[in-house]
Amino acid sequence: MIEFRNVSKTYDTGTEAVHKANFNIEKGEFAFLVGTSGSGKSTLIKLILKEENPTSGNIIINGKDTTYLKPKRVPYLRRSMGVVFQDFRLLPDKTVYDNVAFAMYIVNATKRHIRRQVPMVLSLVGLSNKAKVYPNELSGGEQQRVALARALVNNPSMLIADEPTGNLDPDTAWDIMTLLDDINKRGTTVVVATHAKDIVDKMKKRVIQIEDGHIIRDDKKGGYNSEV
Amino acid sequence: MLGYLISEGFRNVFKNKKSTVASLVIMCATMFIFGIFFAIGENVNHMIDDIEKQQGMQVFIKNDDSITQEQKTQLGEQIRNLDGVNTVVFRTKDESLNQIKDSVFKENPEMVEMYEGDRNPLQDSYVVTLTDLEKSEQVKNAIEKNDIVDNVEIRSNTINTLVKIANGINTASIVILVLLVLISIFIITNTIKLTVHARRKEISIMKYVGATNGFIRWPFVVEGIIIGVISALISIVLLGFAYNGTANAVLNLLQTTALPLGIISFSDMFGLVLTVYLSLGIGIGVIGSMISMRKYLEV
Repeated sequence: MIEFRNVSKTYDTGTEAVHKANFNIEKGEFAFLVGTSGSGKSTLIKLILKEENPTSGNIIINGKDTTYLKPKRVPYLRRSMGVVFQDFRLLPDKTVYDNVAFAMYIVNATKRHIRRQVPMVLSLVGLSNKAKVYPNELSGGEQQRVALARALVNNPSMLIADEPTGNLDPDTAWDIMTLLDDINKRGTTVVVATHAKDIVDKMKKRVIQIEDGHIIRDDKKGGYNSEV
Repeated sequence: MLGYLISEGFRNVFKNKKSTVASLVIMCATMFIFGIFFAIGENVNHMIDDIEKQQGMQVFIKNDDSITQEQKTQLGEQIRNLDGVNTVVFRTKDESLNQIKDSVFKENPEMVEMYEGDRNPLQDSYVVTLTDLEKSEQVKNAIEKNDIVDNVEIRSNTINTLVKIANGINTASIVILVLLVLISIFIITNTIKLTVHARRKEISIMKYVGATNGFIRWPFVVEGIIIGVISALISIVLLGFAYNGTANAVLNLLQTTALPLGIISFSDMFGLVLTVYLSLGIGIGVIGSMISMRKYLEV
């Protein structure tokens, strides 16, 4: 589903952020992407989202090589993936409902479809009773749930989460991870970039570790550190 | 869907009221100044048209009995075939004399009667009107080459001056138009950049969710068009007042020159000015929004 073949990325500044990365995340898999800050983790995410283009190598998503995808086609690629970030990125002047519906407007969904779909995802993330509330009235965990609902509302085949628990306390972080696991069990491929060591150790999922741009480990059921 | 994009556009217009007002003021000023030149240009062109219809030149044929009627007819044909000539009418010297008798000497025709018949000092002539005043010199030179032509009279001073004025105004209008359009695009680009900046978070979210560039751009294009159209409407009202205010003064001035000139009423120009203004407004709005969006659509 997400396959990297000898992917390298050197920025214009000359820094090589990723060096010959090879991995293949299968459909329905749950994978952690771990590494210290500056390791190249964020660049991997950006490459998947096609926010950056690889300097060499190929990236295959959903069976299609996106390396030479025309900029015009990028929006359609992104519709197949939901994204959440550390800072939630909600629109403060829109209610929870509208923040989620917004993602559907953008892909030309019909009003009927929006009215049916939004309450469904809100109940999936456990926020049915907060539909009319504005983001600043919510806790961090709740805000991340809204972001998750927005990422999922268009039924993407994969969910990409970049440090989704970075701004949350440990308990809430664990709740969000459990939610991500539930989403994965419903069939969505989930990729989580994180440095939340405890969670990674506890979840016993696939771990891809990157340091200094090199993939140094790819364990099917690993913990954060190789010795675990 | 379309409703969503348009309502977003309106939201943008009100998002940065100050800078929207600033662009409105500058675009109105731009259009108003251009409108003044446009109106003057239209009027001068109109006057030239009038003169072209009314005036032309008179070609006098030598008073020489050896010139045959056939030669005169040939001259008429030759003039008719020249580029820029509209109508050619032959006028005998008797007709000319009668015309003088009926007009200038209406009160005492006996003063003219003594010149009738063989003693008529006037010349046979052709009265020529032109389709294009700028060609009058050229037509005159061509006619003078014919041997039987004595001289050609044109009211060249009035004509030349007007043609020069018209050309000057047309050139000035174009230069001003280009300059003002550039300034307007610059101003409107900055205004839209402010809304783009204010909504950059929204734009980045839209991109992650898979919005196409067209979808992201539309509300800003709508914003540009709204500012452009409002400016066009304000400007045409201002121009209308200014035009009607000065029209009477100009008419009085024209009457003192005894030239057969009139000016266009604003209602006759309205359709054209409105079309020009709306195209300008919409064009500037669209180009401005495209420029301001460029940077944000790259990712």
